[in-house]
Amino acid sequence: MDALGDYVWPRATSELILLPVTGLECVGDRLLAGEGPDVLVYSLDFGGHLRMMMRVQNLLGHYLIHGFRVRPEPSRDLNSEAMVAVFGSKGLCIVKIGWGQSHYRELWRSGLWNMSDWIWDVRWLEGNIALALGHNSVLLYDPVVGCMLQDVPCTDRCTLSSACLIGDTWKELTVVAGAISNQLLVWYPAAALADGKPVAPDRRVSGHVGVIFSMSYLASKGLLATASEDRSVRIWKVGDLRVPGGRVQNIGHCFGHSARVWQVKLLENYLISAGEDCVCLVWSHEGEILQAFRGHQGRGIRALAAHERQAWVVTGGDDSGIRLWHLARCGYPGLGVSALGFKSPSRPGTLKAVTLAGSWRLLAVTDIGALYLYDLEVKCWEQLLEDKHFRSYCLLEAAPGPEGFGLCAMANGEGCVKVVPINTPAAAVDCALFPGKVHSLSWALRGFEELLLLASGPSGVMACLEISAAPSGKAIFVTERCRYLLPLSKQRWHTCSAFVPPGDFLVCGDRRGSVLLFPSRPGVHKDPRIGGEAEAEAGMLRGGGDTDGDSNAVAEWSPVSTLHSLHGKQGVTSVTCHAGYVYSTGRDGAYYQLFVRGGQLHPVLRQKTCRGMNWVAGLHVVPDGSMVILGFHANEFVVWSPRSHEKLHVVSCGGGHRSWAFSDTEAAMAFAYLKDGDVMLYQALGGCTRPHVILREGLHGREITCVKHVGAVTLGPDCEVPCLEQPDYLEPGSEGPGLTDIVITCSEDTTVCVLALPTTTGSAHALTAVCNHISSVRAMAVWGLGTPGGPHSPQPGLTANIVSAGGRAEMHCFNITVSPDPSTPSGLACHTMHLSSHRLDEYWDRQRNRHRMVKMDPETRYMSLAVCELDRPGVGPLVAAACSDGAVRLFLLQDSGRILQLFAETFHHERCVLKVHSFTHEAPNQRRWLFLCSAATDGSLAFWDLTTVLDRGSALLEPPAEPGLPYRLGTPCMTLQAHSCGVNSLHTLPTREGHHLVASGSEDGSLHVFVLVVETPEPEEAVDEPELVPQLHVLEEYSVPCAHAAHVTGLKILSPSLMVSASIDQRLTFWRLGHGEPTFVNSTVYHVADVADMDCWPVSPAFGHRCALGGQGLEVYNWYD
Amino acid sequence: MGRTSKDKRDVYYRLAKENGWRARSAFKLLQLDEEFHLFQGVTRAVDLCAAPGSWSQVLSQKIGGQGPGHVVAVDLQAMAPLPGVIQIQGDITQLSTAKEIIQHFEGCHADLVVCDGAPDVTGLHDVDEYMQAQLLLAALNIATHVLKPGGCFVAKIFRGRDVTLLYSQLRVFFSSVLCAKPRSSRNSSIEAFAVCRGYDPPEGFVADLTKPLLDHSYDSDFNQLDGPTRIIVPFVTCGDLSAYDSDRSYPLDLQDGSEYKYTPPTQPPISPPYQEACTLKKKGQLAKETRPQDCPISRVDVPSQPLTSPHHTLLAPEVKHNKPNCT
Repeated sequence: MDALGDYVWPRATSELILLPVTGLECVGDRLLAGEGPDVLVYSLDFGGHLRMMMRVQNLLGHYLIHGFRVRPEPSRDLNSEAMVAVFGSKGLCIVKIGWGQSHYRELWRSGLWNMSDWIWDVRWLEGNIALALGHNSVLLYDPVVGCMLQDVPCTDRCTLSSACLIGDTWKELTVVAGAISNQLLVWYPAAALADGKPVAPDRRVSGHVGVIFSMSYLASKGLLATASEDRSVRIWKVGDLRVPGGRVQNIGHCFGHSARVWQVKLLENYLISAGEDCVCLVWSHEGEILQAFRGHQGRGIRALAAHERQAWVVTGGDDSGIRLWHLARCGYPGLGVSALGFKSPSRPGTLKAVTLAGSWRLLAVTDIGALYLYDLEVKCWEQLLEDKHFRSYCLLEAAPGPEGFGLCAMANGEGCVKVVPINTPAAAVDCALFPGKVHSLSWALRGFEELLLLASGPSGVMACLEISAAPSGKAIFVTERCRYLLPLSKQRWHTCSAFVPPGDFLVCGDRRGSVLLFPSRPGVHKDPRIGGEAEAEAGMLRGGGDTDGDSNAVAEWSPVSTLHSLHGKQGVTSVTCHAGYVYSTGRDGAYYQLFVRGGQLHPVLRQKTCRGMNWVAGLHVVPDGSMVILGFHANEFVVWSPRSHEKLHVVSCGGGHRSWAFSDTEAAMAFAYLKDGDVMLYQALGGCTRPHVILREGLHGREITCVKHVGAVTLGPDCEVPCLEQPDYLEPGSEGPGLTDIVITCSEDTTVCVLALPTTTGSAHALTAVCNHISSVRAMAVWGLGTPGGPHSPQPGLTANIVSAGGRAEMHCFNITVSPDPSTPSGLACHTMHLSSHRLDEYWDRQRNRHRMVKMDPETRYMSLAVCELDRPGVGPLVAAACSDGAVRLFLLQDSGRILQLFAETFHHERCVLKVHSFTHEAPNQRRWLFLCSAATDGSLAFWDLTTVLDRGSALLEPPAEPGLPYRLGTPCMTLQAHSCGVNSLHTLPTREGHHLVASGSEDGSLHVFVLVVETPEPEEAVDEPELVPQLHVLEEYSVPCAHAAHVTGLKILSPSLMVSASIDQRLTFWRLGHGEPTFVNSTVYHVADVADMDCWPVSPAFGHRCALGGQGLEVYNWYD
Repeated sequence: MGRTSKDKRDVYYRLAKENGWRARSAFKLLQLDEEFHLFQGVTRAVDLCAAPGSWSQVLSQKIGGQGPGHVVAVDLQAMAPLPGVIQIQGDITQLSTAKEIIQHFEGCHADLVVCDGAPDVTGLHDVDEYMQAQLLLAALNIATHVLKPGGCFVAKIFRGRDVTLLYSQLRVFFSSVLCAKPRSSRNSSIEAFAVCRGYDPPEGFVADLTKPLLDHSYDSDFNQLDGPTRIIVPFVTCGDLSAYDSDRSYPLDLQDGSEYKYTPPTQPPISPPYQEACTLKKKGQLAKETRPQDCPISRVDVPSQPLTSPHHTLLAPEVKHNKPNCT
């Protein structure tokens, strides 16, 4: 036909799939995991480490794996090979996997057999396979040839929600079917008189009030367990189900899940269930919960497997994570709470405070001023001293460091502080510091060199005491080094303190929620890094007021840097320095990552802890380098791991208002608290680490709403790390340069995730997650891509600014820096810094009586974002947001993203705006024009000429004077009715002729493509015509009505002749452009359901394009150009 | 957020409550009728999977004027009674249900069969799409028993991966099949409605409820899995543009000047499956794990020691090297 006739069109192939894990099975010491159509094989015997050995690709075509059945091998064991029936939806495939001598390979694979109906269960019957199908029928199938041998329906052909096949021969085959009527039907296919003749059910069992999702039969005990929509698990005594007419008796009705129960599995001594609440429960056969495994994110646990010999449970989640849990045979040894039996006639008074000095010494003080020591090894109380000055009000804090340096400090209501060496209490030192009450006491330790004690007195004065020891060790010296002054507030005292390495600064938190930075040796030497004289002067406030002549007056140093009310009114609870960052925790339920640069505190990120834990009490670094969060959740003390989202320890202590202490060493963790006039001690061996293993990290707990390619990082050969997930069969020569794509995804689970996708291995690594949003995140935009170190001294890696926006009209701006780090599995590390945030309804949180008023605000959601780069140097970009309240809003970012302000808006669409897209028009010898295209639920597109708007709006591009009154955007320069309903995708591409190709895809499955012509005013005419604006008109316009069977949610014009579209009907389709109407080229069925967004980008001429699809999971495709 | 946030997020949810509809889906049927005049000349209508009954409400209002007995609502679940609607609590896969419907129409066949049923979604997309397809096919199967030739069938579909298989199945039985989406159905939702007109079963077709209708499979000619030929029926958007936008978030003070007042839902769910679990949870009676630390507290103390043991004041063994080493 023409030159393009023999053009080779690209065809997409799947490279990476991250989907909910819907099938898991333990086979000997291997674990099979089903993800999409692929089987992942893990080895469980790798010296305690679990390792992915192989990925068997595309077993089930466009179906997803829902289960595995391994053929029982009576003669041979399963240690060298296994024959596995893999099934899901209507597909069945048999694969033979060899894994002898840790050499993994696929030996044989059958065809993909398509059934006429959904497969609920599969069972090997000698050489053949029995299948339980969707409308209550059973097939006997020859899986090698792929032909049906027998088809027996039940007389009741209701739709099933689950089924379970029992028996090893066709003759004894028993079907237990979970009908839509919530009943269990038991029937025997072999009872059919002739092929195809229906069989009546033998028994009908009622009990559940919701449909049954899963069943498990334990032949050795004659038990059947069922999991249901009604959130319960039932245990039935059924005897031998293969015998007709037996009695079925409900012996257990277990309510423990707080949502639907998806999976159930009976083991010899346990019953395991898992559900939508992301909890895996371990029950006894009597219906008692023995263990609860929490840690998966999102919409539940979908798959369950058990390794009985090793007492392992493996769970697969909707978050595509796989975790391994240990069944405790008889509880954790040494775990538990014990009362230390303080109350005794020989120990008068009641306890006021408790503290832990290291892991084996506990100190407590009574209201008569007596200090007691309890040795956890000797298990006895001993009085160290008694001082009547410390009666009724007494603070007690043991020093940090190994075994607390053998020191503790007490403070009283008269301004006196006593430092007590625990082993030589007679050598205690008293200091009278203040004329009034000491409000708080805390320690700060720098290595083994410097130990400070900070005490807050009346009117915000904080004394800093330096503790040192005599060389003999028998005496200690306490000297007051300086005094600091806290900012004004009602409750004006500090709560915590720590040295900032290397030790020039002290960071403190106060009761008002502020984090403060003080020089650790004020006035001693002026550190040039602080920034010279000016700042040193600013640091001194009250001391400077008492003229220089009076040298005896104690100077009170103000903080050099303050983050006011960072943690809100409830106060800061702890500050910790770790790995170059300062972490602060507070009673606002969050912890902050901060850093100190140039003598100033800078917040990096705010992190939330587990839901409901509003009192974060501390942060602790465990020996393996990860962090755990301490906090109070209602009346429980919780140790929570942000890495695994797991509560490692839970102690019902009664809440955080009592005196408590925590210590953790590699051997044991201890938590002491006062309750009922006694000291309670919780101890756990193994500290804050758990043997539970994350086989694979989860991605997002909910649907991905947006996916964006940021850039690529090239890893040098020295940075190349052997990837664990590298499949065996990859040719060694196919490893190219270490090019890794950096992709960001955001999700309804309120997080933004930064992913590394190496081009060579087809694996994915989650580098970091940002969870600042309070509601779902729906859109992201990237700008300011560069290299770390700036354009002048480029370093490997990349840096970019990201704006994310979503529900509750919330927008955040942050910076990511990805740099090589050989210590991580991906070879990359990602540092995130929060820059700014904006909320439309911020005013509401400041309203005083808001609980009594009805908020009329429409609760706007941001649906889409577009960055509009201005051509003026130094003026940050505009961000256009499509808003659900019918507006298109423009935000101005300034100071490289640190200031984010509403700039202009328009309500032109008067409907929910779904998409915004910006593009520029550049023609030779003409100025650059910036356009914005917006699209709404009525199928209309509007084009906005931003250059003219900005020219008129403000020459200096200053935000409007009143934040609530943004500029108006005026009328669009062109509108176009492209579709009959909502526009879900939008893209443009400049053509060689100087026009623009515009393509949009809609909810109705249609595509609309047109050529947009921009007629710019001639510069000569512009002399006396101020109203010169570019004119837009449409040149060619085409519509493809039934391009897809559902919403077109992804669309990219790759070149003037090629376009790719993705839809909820799970097809990725290429379209040929440029010759009249777009024509279908080819299409690929992908596995991600509910695709919300697509991004594609060219990788290299040799590699072609990559394309990421985000929805219920993530899939990456590639094609060669 | 509070109880008003759903009113703001979804204007049709709010309007349904204010207008006394049992669910917002009532607007969907009204808008489908606006486009297709579904109720014109209809005297006998069947509402399958009717609970909570909003479509039955619309049907009884639109065609119930000719006297009772012309709208039959069928559901497996219990449904609060509605005036002018005959209710059958039964299974649509049973022949007895079909016979009962015909009996209520005094032996006549129905002019219109509607089905707005959807399974409780599990979140696994392939399962949900399959279950929805089975529900539609079950509705189609019973419709072949009760629908008169030339009659009309409207049912909810999920436009997922295999929706074209459903289209091809429906095209066997109806002369015209369209996919319609009312404006009150959200853009973000994958639901749509198959509007099938002109019931015309293939020659020799014998309606048989004892066998389920199974969905079609892809073939290499007319309905390809990944080829260019797929049966995608025309798409029609219903409801005029001046109607409220279901995706838009509206402030509580709507522009029609009416003052906002919170309205409770018209018809709360009747005995949902989770009821017992929720009651137990409310009472704190859900089973909880027995943590070792919640077991009875063990006393580990030994009999009280002499209060003052003077030996420690003389010795300072391990403090020496642990002391901070200040200069």
